[in-house]
Amino acid sequence: MQAISVKELEKTFRVRRKEKGMRGSVQAILRPQTEEVKAVRGVSFGVDEGEMLAFIGPNGAGKSTTIKMLTGILYPDGGRVEVLGIDPAKRRRQLAYQIGTVFGQKEQLWTHLTPYDNFRFFGAIYDIPEKETERRIGELTERFELGGFINTPVRNLSLGQRIRCEIVASLLHKPKVLFLDEPTIGLDPVVKESVRSLIKQMNREFNTTIFLTSHDVGDIEKLCKRIIIVNAGQIVLDDSMEHLKYHYLHKKIVEVKMQEETTFPQVEGITILKHKGTYARLEVDTAAIEIGDALRRINAQAVEDINISNVPLENIIMEIYKAEGKDAAS
Amino acid sequence: MLTVVKNQILVCILSVKYNIMREMLNKVTFLMNVTFMILNNASILIQWFVLFRLREDIGGYTMREVMLLWGLTAASFGLSRVLFARVYSLPELIVSGKLDSYLVQPKNVLLSVMTSSTNISAIGDLLYGLILLAVCGLGVRGFLLSLLFVVTGMIILTAFALFLGSLAFWFVRVEMLSGEMVMGLISFATYPDGIFQGISRFLLYFIMPVGMIVYHPVHILVRFDAGMFFTVLGYACLLSVAATVVFYRGLRRYASSSLMEARM
Repeated sequence: MQAISVKELEKTFRVRRKEKGMRGSVQAILRPQTEEVKAVRGVSFGVDEGEMLAFIGPNGAGKSTTIKMLTGILYPDGGRVEVLGIDPAKRRRQLAYQIGTVFGQKEQLWTHLTPYDNFRFFGAIYDIPEKETERRIGELTERFELGGFINTPVRNLSLGQRIRCEIVASLLHKPKVLFLDEPTIGLDPVVKESVRSLIKQMNREFNTTIFLTSHDVGDIEKLCKRIIIVNAGQIVLDDSMEHLKYHYLHKKIVEVKMQEETTFPQVEGITILKHKGTYARLEVDTAAIEIGDALRRINAQAVEDINISNVPLENIIMEIYKAEGKDAAS
Repeated sequence: MLTVVKNQILVCILSVKYNIMREMLNKVTFLMNVTFMILNNASILIQWFVLFRLREDIGGYTMREVMLLWGLTAASFGLSRVLFARVYSLPELIVSGKLDSYLVQPKNVLLSVMTSSTNISAIGDLLYGLILLAVCGLGVRGFLLSLLFVVTGMIILTAFALFLGSLAFWFVRVEMLSGEMVMGLISFATYPDGIFQGISRFLLYFIMPVGMIVYHPVHILVRFDAGMFFTVLGYACLLSVAATVVFYRGLRRYASSSLMEARM
């Protein structure tokens, strides 16, 4: 069964335009000018129950606007949205009982209150009986290891601790779908990893559907099995992570340290990315030349040290942004 | 339905309680703010005492009526800013897209927004207003009636600020107009209506609802008039409904933002 169903979703913003300088400011008062910015243009997709989906794109691609329409924050201008069979624009409050949201850049917690008081407040917001709230706080505190700072005001917590509390607050009412908008922004690698494992755990134990937007490739790679890339308000790729890697990972990065300074032959399928003294960094396109052949061409016997790796997922995504973004914009 | 209303009220009470708890974190600032607001209001009343030594009535008001005027204004404005302070900064929330966290909660978004902040000095206003009403010699019935007018005044004032603030969904720079109108209304509300004639009187009764917040209530407290009484009640209901409708109509135009924000 589908947890999220989106068809031909559209959203347009009217943005004020102002010419530069004082003259422009005066003109803007006398003759205000606006222009339409199409933030989301006919987006359609579905997310199955229990699925973990990465919804990514460059800044201004329309991903936050989409997530805001899915959670009922924004009204769509066209198309149809259903989250758990509910139209967010028409029955926002009813939907809110069944979804959780974590916006990495927007705090939902009261900063002067302790996490415990905040959780009690959230319990009241979601109409959870007091005893049940206490039980859930206890359970989540243990699971998310909040014991050490549950009675410290939120404003005195580190960013990592705060994000963990934000996630707990969004889980208190056992949501069926969790929307995470850049949940690991600004976190150090250790905390990022712990947040990711908590999200994974939640998905595994409660079959929670995860809708994730992030600029962090690590989040996407480690959490999601499916990826949707948006650019200029349109979907430019909707594929499984496995498929994405299979299709795009035909390029290998070969780093070699030669025994002595060498010149590399010009061969189709081998691109020299960097060459300095005995060190060289090459890109091998395995669709054009097999890796074994490539190694023979660079004279593997004269190699002192070698490292072969895949092109980072980040580079693949960047390439998709660039290539597909041009098509979408045009 | 009853449970929904009960839970909504509970959340509003919790919200106001947490707001006051936040303000009380710094005990000295809290007490100083409350005390100085009371003293500040009291100092202005001294000026009225001096004026009434020179003249017996000003604009048809005696000292007791001026005290009623001040009591109702201070208590209504105070109560409104203790319970619904956020309504006075609504344009800023709308323009900078800070309604998101209220919109993802399963509660009435308007009440959640309005009760999300409190103003400490308003506690001073409220206390001062209630003290004045208590010492005006209204008797028990009169005092209870004055409390009802504090509530209607609070409702009208809040609805007026909500109505103006909601215009920010359509017009970007509305916060100045909204702020000036509310502060203007409060200033006019502390003078006897008898001194205003012609257009200014028309403005105070029909554009700025000063007449409904204080003038009619003062007249009713001096001499009960059923017609005037129900006009005030009806106006409070009508303006609340109108302001709520404008807010929800505007909410459809809400554009959010990508600004970093924290719930303070």
